[in-house]
Amino acid sequence: MPPPPDPKAVFLNVPYDEEFHSLYIAYIVGLFQLGLVPHLASEIPGGDRRLDRISKLIQSCRYSIHDLSRVEVSVAPTAVPRFNMPLELGMTITWANLHPGLHTWFVWESELHRLQRSASDLNGTDPYIHNGTAEGVLRELCNAFRRDRMPSVPRMLEDFHFVDNNLNAILYKYGTRNPYDRSVFMELSWLSKTLADLTRQTGPIA
Amino acid sequence: MRKPIHITTPWPTQEEMARRFRIPKARQRELQALVDEFKAKLSPLEEPPVTLVEPEKRRKRASAA
Repeated sequence: MPPPPDPKAVFLNVPYDEEFHSLYIAYIVGLFQLGLVPHLASEIPGGDRRLDRISKLIQSCRYSIHDLSRVEVSVAPTAVPRFNMPLELGMTITWANLHPGLHTWFVWESELHRLQRSASDLNGTDPYIHNGTAEGVLRELCNAFRRDRMPSVPRMLEDFHFVDNNLNAILYKYGTRNPYDRSVFMELSWLSKTLADLTRQTGPIA
Repeated sequence: MRKPIHITTPWPTQEEMARRFRIPKARQRELQALVDEFKAKLSPLEEPPVTLVEPEKRRKRASAA
């Protein structure tokens, strides 16, 4: 029997796109507001093969969120479909089926019925539809998870805007333009966690 | 749509997160100050502002009564 996963850990399987960064921040902010801790493949230090590292990370997390909203053919002349997110979802489903009770996975999409076209084998799985907005991500996180003393979506949205507005300063500090960079992810997480602590202490939750 | 999962695990502690995210203490203080400032601006006023009445006017009102 594998060791139990971290009950607060959520593996985030999201596209590392510039256009996606607001939703990525919304996931981080929202998960901390729910008392959960996001994990990203880019946070793992090098060494093993990347796929092995991702596999270990999935196994160490109690939950995973797979955002398939940007599984599409790129617009570049040599257009290729993007397989990373479905690949990691497949790895997760296998792990969850082998060890029921150790892992719960969720699929996120931007449009209703799009999943039926992009991955019809997932028919019967209800995706969480975020409509491509940060507010949608926060709303759907509250549909997927509940906990006592959780803040309202508008309150979460305020915190999201604060973190989003501070992104450029953090990118500048670390000399990068990549919001998915390990150091940037760590700092965004810390900021979100600090906000969540204060929101919880100051209440009210409405 | 499946029922939401009810999270009952304890909230992540400061120490736990400090170990995981390895943010230097000085930077933690900077970010905390940033967040405190932001939250202070957000906090709604709990009570309506008190209207001060000048002592002179107060005396006039009392004598007129």
